[in-house]
Amino acid sequence: MTPEFLRPIDGLRLAEEYRALLRPDEREAGANGTVHHLPRFFYEISTWQEAHEIRLAPHFTLAELMLVDCREARLLLSQFPHYVPCAIVLLARFLEAFRREVDAPVFISANGGYRSAAHQNGGAKSIHAWGTAANIYRIGDTFLSDTKSMEKYRMIAASLGPAVFVRQFGREKGQTSDHLHIDLGYVRLTPRECSEAS
Amino acid sequence: MSSVDVSDGLRDELEALAVKNKARSIGVALHDLETGFRFSLRGDRWFHAASTIKVAVLLAVFRAADQGRLRLDDSLHVRNRFFSAADGSPFRVTPDRDATPELYAAIGRTAKISTLAHAMIVGSSNLAANLLLDFVGVEYARTVLREAQVDGVELRRGVEDHGAHEQGINNEATADGLLSLLSAIRRDFLTPESKREVIRILLEQRFNSMIPAGLPPHATVAHKTGEISTACHDIGIVYLPEREPYITAILTEFDPDREGRRETVAAISETIYRSLLQTKPKSNDP
Repeated sequence: MTPEFLRPIDGLRLAEEYRALLRPDEREAGANGTVHHLPRFFYEISTWQEAHEIRLAPHFTLAELMLVDCREARLLLSQFPHYVPCAIVLLARFLEAFRREVDAPVFISANGGYRSAAHQNGGAKSIHAWGTAANIYRIGDTFLSDTKSMEKYRMIAASLGPAVFVRQFGREKGQTSDHLHIDLGYVRLTPRECSEAS
Repeated sequence: MSSVDVSDGLRDELEALAVKNKARSIGVALHDLETGFRFSLRGDRWFHAASTIKVAVLLAVFRAADQGRLRLDDSLHVRNRFFSAADGSPFRVTPDRDATPELYAAIGRTAKISTLAHAMIVGSSNLAANLLLDFVGVEYARTVLREAQVDGVELRRGVEDHGAHEQGINNEATADGLLSLLSAIRRDFLTPESKREVIRILLEQRFNSMIPAGLPPHATVAHKTGEISTACHDIGIVYLPEREPYITAILTEFDPDREGRRETVAAISETIYRSLLQTKPKSNDP
C-alpha cells in the first residue's frame, strides 16, 4: 500500500479523549526553553495490518516507525485507530536516503519512532512526539552499542543535510546509549487538502 | 514449633554438613505446611541474594498486574541498557552470563511481560530481570515486599550492577526473609490467577541440581536458585503427593574457588526431607 492511501485528519477535530493525549497544536516548552507547537495534522491508521502494509519509503513501513511498548498511553496502544503525525513521511524518506548511504538494512527500535505526547518516555518534551525522530539500534549486522560504530554512522547521517541532528555518543549520562538518535527537527506537515484555519 | 526433637536433630545434621563441605556459612529456614513445623538455622543472617532476588521481582510484577498497573500480555521494549543504583551511570548485562541467550535476539524489539517473567525465573535471565525491575521500579518492588510483610529481603538494584556492588549496594536476603517471600506467594497476597501463574513459572525452573536433587523423583519443586562467586542458594516450595508441601530457603556461602557447593545445597535439601518425613538417608536405602 502506498502513502496515497493515508487519511489526514485535523487533530483539533478528534474526540476529546484523543486530544487530551495527543495535544494537537499545543505549545510545549523544551528543556532549553525553546517553545514548539505539537503536531496538528495526523494520519489515521485503522489496523496494525494497515500499518504493516503502508510503505512510506521502499524499505520502511509505517509499522516500523510507530512501534511502541506499554509505556504508551493505553488508548493509543491497544486499540485502533492510531494517529501518527503527517511529518512521519519525511522521516521515512530521510531514513531511506540514510539506508542508501550505509548500504544496509536500518533497524528502528521499539519506542524509537513516533511516540505520542502522552508516552512515558519523554512525552511532549521529546522530539519523537513530532514523528521526525528515529532511534536506530542496528545497521546490517552491527548493533550500535559502542563509540566506533556510533561515530561511523553518526557522521554519515549528519552528512545528509544541515537540518539533521544526530546525537553525539559520549561518556555522560544521556550520551552513552544503545542506539543512534537521528531527528529532522520540529517539522510539522500540513497536507495540501487540510486547512490551518481553526 | 511442633517438635523440638526434630529441630535439634536437624540443626545438628545441617551444622555437620556445613563443616564437612567447608561452607563459610549456611542459613536455612523451613516451614512445613503439613504439621506447622518451623525451623530456622541462622535464619536471620544476611547473604548476597544473588538470583533469588528475582522472586521478589516476580512478586512485584504480578502484584502490579493485580493492581492494574500493567498487563502481563503487554509488550516491553527489550534493550540492554540500565542505570546503576550507585551513580546513575549506564551499564549492560553480558549475554555470556545469561542462561536465556535467545532474549538477546529481541534487543531493539519488544517482548511480552509474561515472557520476560518466565525467562527471568526459568532461565534466570539477568536481562529480563533488569527490564522488569526497571519497568516496575525498585521503590515499587520494595513497597510490594513491605505490603506482603516480607522482612529480610532487601531489593536495592538490578543484577550485574557492578558500580553499585563496588559501593556496597547489593541485594541481600536472609533465609527467614526468603521463606516469608515464598510464603507470601503461597498465601493470598496475589489474586488466585496470579498466584497460580507465579507457582507455575517457579515449577518450570530449569536449574534443578540443588533442592530437587536431594529429593525423591516424585517430588516437584517450585523454586529459584541463585549463584554468584561466593553464594549458592536455592529456595522453593516442595510438593509431595502424599502430603502438604513444605517451604524452604537454603542459603550458603563458600570461598570463591570451592567446589561442591550445589551438592551441599542438595545434601541440605535431602536432610530436610528426611527429617520431615522421618526417612533414612539415601545411602542407607535398600
